[in-house]
Amino acid sequence: MNQARHLSLALGACAAVLLAAGCQKDVASPSGRTITAGIKPGGGCANFRLTGGGRVDKLEPETGKSPPSSHDFATFGFQARPESGCPSTNAGSGNIEWNEHLDQPFIQGGGFAFHGRVTFFSIPDDGTQSNPQCGRFGGTGRFNPRNGANQDNVPFEVKHACDVAEPGVQKDHIHIVIGPFADGSTYFRHSLLTGGNIQWHRLTGNN
Amino acid sequence: MTTKILVALTLLAGAVQAQTVTGKAFGTYVNAAGVTSQSPVATLPSTGGMATGQADAFGVAGAVDAQALNAVTTGVADNKKSGAQSTSELEQVSAAGGAITADVVTAVATAYFGQFTGGSDGEGSGFANLIVNGETITTEVAPNTQVDLPGVGYAILNEQLQTGNGLTSYGITVNMIHVVLQNALGLTTGEIIIGSASSSVAR
Repeated sequence: MNQARHLSLALGACAAVLLAAGCQKDVASPSGRTITAGIKPGGGCANFRLTGGGRVDKLEPETGKSPPSSHDFATFGFQARPESGCPSTNAGSGNIEWNEHLDQPFIQGGGFAFHGRVTFFSIPDDGTQSNPQCGRFGGTGRFNPRNGANQDNVPFEVKHACDVAEPGVQKDHIHIVIGPFADGSTYFRHSLLTGGNIQWHRLTGNN
Repeated sequence: MTTKILVALTLLAGAVQAQTVTGKAFGTYVNAAGVTSQSPVATLPSTGGMATGQADAFGVAGAVDAQALNAVTTGVADNKKSGAQSTSELEQVSAAGGAITADVVTAVATAYFGQFTGGSDGEGSGFANLIVNGETITTEVAPNTQVDLPGVGYAILNEQLQTGNGLTSYGITVNMIHVVLQNALGLTTGEIIIGSASSSVAR
């Protein structure tokens, strides 16, 4: 787990250099990869599911809440699971809601809401897979900026959502990438939870 | 000694017992002048999962005005660990005729059971650019902070109400702005709740 977190911290440090907050025009995802709607990324099959919700503020490796006046935080809720135990296709299902408050020009200002539908689910492939309680999922969804036109079928990928401890504040962490949007820009946020929780559950016969 | 053994046995038994979760979140609730109005409510299914309640805007003249209302609740219960986490967010909030305003109101309510321990909290709840009676509040608002609203009544900010018995059940309700409306005699005539999130777990 420590090794996984170190990689997370390294990615977070890169992100922090690129931008003071979680989004910037024309910035690729921290791993340098792009994501494409409908294409299942790599990663091993998963026999577990994840739920979570809460709040994230500063990008890793920083911790804690951002100053309220900065509006530099997001809240979220999700459920995600494989279609069946360890499917060879990594097909998944579920939903995610992501509400970003940061005021950035490239998203027309005032933040946005994103409503995503999960289509794939796997173990991560970004280094966090050494923690067996991390999962990865993604799909497409509707990007709903506060001040701008909606965009449909926008790809997203939760590169990892990790259940590290109970309670999860300052321990559980999540890394999401949304985009590219119509203008080619991409949003990401990679943070420890400042509120809420992420839980990992092994699939059983009934769930 | 006997008590400790009983507690340990209870916890061990609980670790393999079926657990239940509840979750609920909404943006605004108004009960004033004989009129009750509420924005969409997210209610977690008894089997767990996810629910949302959203509205672009919500207003009741003189009571509340808000935009971008987003309520989400998620949770899972199984026999080893369970959790429910609910969030409610609103933007450009004005309450009680403008006595309270905020750019963003965020309520987060979390309840969980690990294999042997549980708890609940309102971590992550807060305001952005909160103004009360014309005074800007720049610091974090402590749970259950009461402020007078002259001519209106009073408000409890970051209201946190713990539920559960602390052993086999845990829960919390967070109401970020709870305005109690009072008449000239000090009698309660209604209430306004803005930014409400509740979560609980039990085994």
